[in-house]
Amino acid sequence: MRSALLLLLALPAAGCAISQPDVPVGTYLGGDYAAVREFAEKQQTDGAVENLAIVLNVKGQCQLALGEHDAARRSFESAAQIMGTWATSGNEATAAIVGSESSKTYKGDPYEKAMNAFYLSYCYLLKGEPDNARAALKRGILMDAEVADEKYQADNALLFWMAGRMSRLFGASGAEDFFKEAQTANTFAIDHGSRGAKNNPILTDPEKGNFVLLLPIGLGPEKFADGREKELARFRNQSHPAVRAVAKLGGKSLGKSWILNDVEYQASTLGGTAMEGIRKGKAVFKTSARISGAVLVNKGLNNLDSDAGQAQAIAGGALLIFSALTATSADARHWPTLPSTVQALVADVPPGEHDLVVDFLDGNGRPIRGLQHTMRVTVPESGEAWFLVPSLPAAAAGS
Amino acid sequence: MLIRSVTVGLLGLLLTACGSTRDTRVSADAADSVTGTGLQSVDIRTMASQMAADIKEWGVLAPTSDGKQASFFIYEMKNESSDTINKTIILTKLRTELFKAFRGRVDILDRSPSATDLTNAEQRMKQRGEVTGANNKKVFGSDFVLKGVMQSRDRQAGALKSSYILVTFELTDLATQKMVWTNDYEMKTESEKSVINR
Repeated sequence: MRSALLLLLALPAAGCAISQPDVPVGTYLGGDYAAVREFAEKQQTDGAVENLAIVLNVKGQCQLALGEHDAARRSFESAAQIMGTWATSGNEATAAIVGSESSKTYKGDPYEKAMNAFYLSYCYLLKGEPDNARAALKRGILMDAEVADEKYQADNALLFWMAGRMSRLFGASGAEDFFKEAQTANTFAIDHGSRGAKNNPILTDPEKGNFVLLLPIGLGPEKFADGREKELARFRNQSHPAVRAVAKLGGKSLGKSWILNDVEYQASTLGGTAMEGIRKGKAVFKTSARISGAVLVNKGLNNLDSDAGQAQAIAGGALLIFSALTATSADARHWPTLPSTVQALVADVPPGEHDLVVDFLDGNGRPIRGLQHTMRVTVPESGEAWFLVPSLPAAAAGS
Repeated sequence: MLIRSVTVGLLGLLLTACGSTRDTRVSADAADSVTGTGLQSVDIRTMASQMAADIKEWGVLAPTSDGKQASFFIYEMKNESSDTINKTIILTKLRTELFKAFRGRVDILDRSPSATDLTNAEQRMKQRGEVTGANNKKVFGSDFVLKGVMQSRDRQAGALKSSYILVTFELTDLATQKMVWTNDYEMKTESEKSVINR
């Protein structure tokens, strides 16, 4: 009976706590998008509902790679609805504060919300709805401004620049303001440690080009729980050989890509959160209770013959149980298949059909084998042609 | 006895924590319990019925004295807000409400690309004698065009955010370019972010 009680005492701490879905990132990087999409679909039906936004985003990326554009849009849209909802039930908030933080619905950090907006806007552009594409970007800009440290709010040049381009595409006002904001965001981000260039030609001449390549490159940061009681949410960069891209159209060089969004920088400039303070407080309690409990139990055991000794042992035991039940670990769930940077390459090209070759380069400027993309593209007589080419293997035919 | 009570209590806590879910049919006019922001079903329904009733009341689409019916088509819904929307659902609902309001006393034209494709294909089949029917009807011209635009003003500070959405419709005379009718639908929401997401 006592064993059962101990087991039950431990259960509330672990009960309903949600761990990071085990997304097969290696399979994704290897180009088997159908397998990863299948994993995401299984997680969608059988996995924790609190992780839905993560698996929908991963699924959307796979669907984009497989050319399933409408399905990708629906996946990113559903994820966006979860990530953009501020409302939280009292029960969920209580569970996350008193119990494990990772029991809450994953809504992503601002940099992840911004990336969801990026992919969603591209899907709407493919659908021929630049107005909805801009709506997604505007929402992404608002979400990017949710970072706790006001200094780093709205410093995502990619979203501003794309919003300006979308404004132009459907004849709306505001393009100049978006372009100006993109310049400001880029300068600010670089001054504060982001990769990129202040003289980025895409931002100095933001309306240039009827041919746009969007290039998610590398692998984004991994979130993990750090600290004595795992109460600190931290990011570590992940290794990937691709750092930039070059492209040729009809055998003619279009030049190199330029960084518009450094995802690692965006992740590392979130600022402190309210939950971090709560976790730190819980960590102090957990450590203090554990030490006090151990001291009391020790004293009590050495003096068990007396009433005071027994009381000390019971109080010490209770403190040790409370310490063990206090969940301090930071919620380290994250979108694991994000790129390290999003870069762009823009050119003025004649309308018609062209052969496009995109090569991804390593740190030494050498093309990475297996990541070359060759495709036949059509540039319209009027309007623009946009393509998303990630630094991933091309999808196998028929997959 | 104490241990038993604690065990039962903890079991109850577990059952509450990992409680049941629901799958319930609700009225289309019910407030959205999933998220309170953005256009909800009740907004789309209210907007469509209000606009249809208002256009009818203004009389701009009423038949002329010699009985000639007015004709119009719905062109587009432009989204300038920060909320992605399914534009088709708004326009389709509006078209249905207009059709119901006028009860056939106005000609609503289908100018969608698919309608043009289908019309052309049918005419070709009739020309080739593959299907029956006369091929001497002309596609209706339109007297008016109905357009819409959705805009928003979003404010965000700390844990609070508000969103004001304005959906404006306008009916333009295609002969004179005169705007003969306009009306709008407004909504505003406020949200507070939970401490667990800050």
